[in-house]
Amino acid sequence: MSVNEKSSKSATTVNLGIEIAGVRFANPIFVASGTFGYGSEAARFCDISGIGAIVTKSVSWNPRPGNFPRRIVETPSGMLNSIGLANVGVDAFVTEKLPYLAEFDTKIIANIAASSVGEYCSVLEKIEANATGNLVGYEINVSCPNVKDGGLSFGTNVGMVEEVVRALRPLTKKLLAIKLTPNVTSVAPFAQACEDCGADAISLINTVVGMSVDIRTKRPRLSTVTGGLSGPAIRPIAIAKVYEARKATKLPIIGIGGIATASDAMEFFIVGASAVQIGTMNFVHPDASIRVRDELTQLLTSQGCSSMKDVIGTLEVSGEMRSLGW
Amino acid sequence: MLAPLVAKRTLTHDLFVLRLAAPTIASSVQPGQFVNILPRTGAIDPLLRRPFSVYQTGEGWIEVIIQIHGKGTEELSKALVGDSLDVIGPLGSPWKYNSGSFSTAILLVGGVGVASMPSLTQACESSNIPFETYYGARNERLFADEYLKRVHYATDDGSKGYRGSVIDLLRSDLRSVAYAHPKLFVCGPTPMMRAATTLAAEFDIPCEVSLETEMACGVGICQGCPVQTTAAELEKTGKKFHLVCTHGPSFEREQIVF
Repeated sequence: MSVNEKSSKSATTVNLGIEIAGVRFANPIFVASGTFGYGSEAARFCDISGIGAIVTKSVSWNPRPGNFPRRIVETPSGMLNSIGLANVGVDAFVTEKLPYLAEFDTKIIANIAASSVGEYCSVLEKIEANATGNLVGYEINVSCPNVKDGGLSFGTNVGMVEEVVRALRPLTKKLLAIKLTPNVTSVAPFAQACEDCGADAISLINTVVGMSVDIRTKRPRLSTVTGGLSGPAIRPIAIAKVYEARKATKLPIIGIGGIATASDAMEFFIVGASAVQIGTMNFVHPDASIRVRDELTQLLTSQGCSSMKDVIGTLEVSGEMRSLGW
Repeated sequence: MLAPLVAKRTLTHDLFVLRLAAPTIASSVQPGQFVNILPRTGAIDPLLRRPFSVYQTGEGWIEVIIQIHGKGTEELSKALVGDSLDVIGPLGSPWKYNSGSFSTAILLVGGVGVASMPSLTQACESSNIPFETYYGARNERLFADEYLKRVHYATDDGSKGYRGSVIDLLRSDLRSVAYAHPKLFVCGPTPMMRAATTLAAEFDIPCEVSLETEMACGVGICQGCPVQTTAAELEKTGKKFHLVCTHGPSFEREQIVF
């Protein structure tokens, strides 16, 4: 069969649908927590129902005002942030945000942040008790680098991650994904711990700790001195972490980190991610996820693929290496 | 949306104007709102859009003022007529000039802050709101006053108008001129806006300032452009921070801490 024949056949049959832990998603392009608000902010610019899943902004038990400015700094092909988990708190989340999102034909994954195991449990139970029809699961943020209490301290300690997963698992039958940090020497033990303790999936990566200095004032540019680096600049780090985790666990992996195009997303799929989340690019193009989804359809078609199964986990590390794209 | 650059002109030695064909934005933008422009379509460095006040609008077009501050504005300075720029907007909340709590609008301007004033000038005219414009600069070559009216100038070197700061000029006039129930609308460098809020407190008059800050998204998602609220505002709204992109860019002086 020629390439043209493949393309013409696939053009009508390409299927972006995927399944993670029994949950069926129309496509594998999600939006990352903290980069799409609670949906309403971007609704003017984006066809929300076309997104594979919306991972909502981290919600904690109490509302959090976030850190003092300056909270963001642009860096080469990326940005540093120190937002500090600013969020409306779980009460407003279940009374205002979830009902709004329930109006859209897309899956919702609630991201939860906390400063103690008990708080993680309380927030999840509260959401579980008020869940809307399209809420399919939870993503547990054990890896935010920008909060003093909790945050990264959970995500860099395997024992703490185990404790969090063990405590949450009995509280829900919905999808339970753990969002891991790249700010560890090896992510494999964390991925393995998530699997051992009953998680359904892992999301990685969260932001990479970074810093920027104003050379005129000799002061840090962020109010918190260091922050989380995101954007295309971190994509190679994310790919490597997904690659490492893929070898350590059979859990589905949701890849995150600097995805701007379908080609970027394909790297994650090939390495073994079942889905990806668009993060910082939502700030640049509020409809970035839809753009990537549409590009992905074209890309799969051009490669003669008919479904995501044709690309997920297809990495070949042996044989002849070819240099492309220079 | 992609907006073709239809004209480009120099305003002062460090300011230039881009006129973009953007009919949807032109037909809906209100005084004080802004647009977010991608420095280079398809590029990831610089990565983020840059916010610009809508300087002037016309039949199917908008204008923005560019001052080169860094990589993004430098890229935009290279745009040529015929190029298309990726623009989203209008964004932000408009100036609150229709509140009815004042009788005379005093437009206080400095530097690139002039960008948000022509639309307010026109709004005052069409709403029959009496207004005066106070405009300060280091010297007369820095004035970009093509769309301003009823202007009182102040220059540091005395090359045009009052010699000294525009704040001092306004303070003097507030003492000697009987402006009926004035309200200050301020946009300029942060020290000038801070001084303006002090002046407004001194005379116990309302004052609204339009802020400029870094923002990643411009639509309220990233939470990257907070400004601290005053104790009174915190008590009233329960919010420790407001976002410049959606609550602002303009705020009443009682709302925020400089």
